[in-house]
Amino acid sequence: MEEEDSKNIKKIRIDILDMCFKAKEGHVPSSFSVVEILYTLYKKMAPNDVFFLSKGHASAALFAVLAHFGLLDRSELKTYCAYDSRLGGHPHRFPNLIMSSTGSLGHGFPIAAGYALSKKIKQEPGRVFCVVGDGETNEGSIWETAMYAEQLKLSNLVCVVDKNDSQIRAMTSINIDKKFKEFGWKTQVVNGHNSSELEKILFDKSVESNNQPYCVIANTVKGKGVKEMERDMFAWHHRSPTDTELARFKEELLQTL
Amino acid sequence: MRKQFAKTLLDLGKDERLVLLIGDISHYLLKDFEDKYKDRFYNMGVAEQAMMSIASGLAINGLFPVVHSITPFVVERCFEQIKDDLCYQNLGVNIVSVGGAFDYAALGCTHHCYEDFALMRVLPNMQVIYPASPHEFDILFRQTFANGSPTYFRLPAKIHFLPTKPNFGDVEKLKEGKEVTVVAAGPQLQNAYDAIQELEKESITCDLIYMTTLKPVSEAAKAAITASLKKTKRLLTIEEHSVIGGVGDTVALIASNISFGHHRLGIKDKFLTNYGTYEEHCEANGLTKSGIKKAIYEIKSENNL
Repeated sequence: MEEEDSKNIKKIRIDILDMCFKAKEGHVPSSFSVVEILYTLYKKMAPNDVFFLSKGHASAALFAVLAHFGLLDRSELKTYCAYDSRLGGHPHRFPNLIMSSTGSLGHGFPIAAGYALSKKIKQEPGRVFCVVGDGETNEGSIWETAMYAEQLKLSNLVCVVDKNDSQIRAMTSINIDKKFKEFGWKTQVVNGHNSSELEKILFDKSVESNNQPYCVIANTVKGKGVKEMERDMFAWHHRSPTDTELARFKEELLQTL
Repeated sequence: MRKQFAKTLLDLGKDERLVLLIGDISHYLLKDFEDKYKDRFYNMGVAEQAMMSIASGLAINGLFPVVHSITPFVVERCFEQIKDDLCYQNLGVNIVSVGGAFDYAALGCTHHCYEDFALMRVLPNMQVIYPASPHEFDILFRQTFANGSPTYFRLPAKIHFLPTKPNFGDVEKLKEGKEVTVVAAGPQLQNAYDAIQELEKESITCDLIYMTTLKPVSEAAKAAITASLKKTKRLLTIEEHSVIGGVGDTVALIASNISFGHHRLGIKDKFLTNYGTYEEHCEANGLTKSGIKKAIYEIKSENNL
């Protein structure tokens, strides 16, 4: 099973590279840091669960994962960032597939909290998952939402922080777990590139009965899987590979992961 | 107006999709709603950005959120949330503000907001509604709160006392005349009506067109405004808003392919740094019956095309 997962995850990273290469667009390293997280979520989410990608610049990862699970036609990935594509550099809402348009940081998380509140009001089952970037936690609206979630008793809300330290040049994300805990959340720290660990921490029976909002800090590496990107994540933040780089990176991914 | 807001909401609360979010204002007025619909009433304190996005999340799951707070905080503080989370995604969140223009005169510029119409009008999908009498709010809110698009309501503190019959998107012609087309919005309708009434004794007659929906403007409304301007070739717009981006610009845009002289009574491009009362600010900005008469004399004396 784990072998199967790692094979799938490898394929998803290659899809992301292909998409960004073809489009000459996209945020590859930010997408690579969330691949295992998104893969685990879409593998395990129940029919009543919903997902919001608050760090919208990882849209390539979201689309590649959706295609992997058959929720999006694979051929559509080729249209990534094209003028008349549905799949842009940041996701745009379309019902039953993409829950919300995101891109400006600090928006998706409160929208997800609103959806979690709507589920409480309508007494609908299921949980609301949201992936937030650690850089994104610079935004005040993230902490407004952390505060609201406790007040509104949103025990059906799960926040996964992709802690890839991409904001290290500006404001390092220190003690995010302690901050969320202080805001009344149950927290866990996990290796964000280990899908079986993620599976356990997000979907274990015991966490489904949480009576608090739940925050999982996923320690990740920006650009995970391609050493050049890992080493120089700032240069690669919004860059797409050349054809020689593409070939080299694909080879590296196939070998090492 | 606020009382009518509470009354209308209390009645519409029977619709289980209606959810009220308040930014820590109007608690007493909305107490009945809170008591009756506890699980659909949330006092969200003062965190307007997340409050607006949360409203978006509620709307995504089919609810009809109503977000209520003071104009600068519920419009300007969270402008980008309104743009991205409501308008871009065309979600039916209703924003109901109080304290527009200089209703909170003595509290100073941080609590004034004469830019709200400009900011809301410029956003695609946004509906902009300005009722100025309790019955108007009741009618217009019922017509629009569940129509699936984001809607902005400014509730003024002062009201007019004319028996209007508003309809979403339409304008209402309250006076028939020859010389000037007067388009008024908000409580200034009262001054406009009274001024025109007095001028009739001097044989100066004006069309008085009352606007409660700044956006969208129906084809019938556009036709009524255009026909009037073709006849008078003189336009006076009156609003408790900046002369940039509000009623004046709404009318100018509708009639951009015909020629007419245009005077704008409103707030010039400046901050109103005085305190005092609502009435004093009206006086200082020509937003009075005599100010309107003076403007009509002026525009009439000009040789327009």
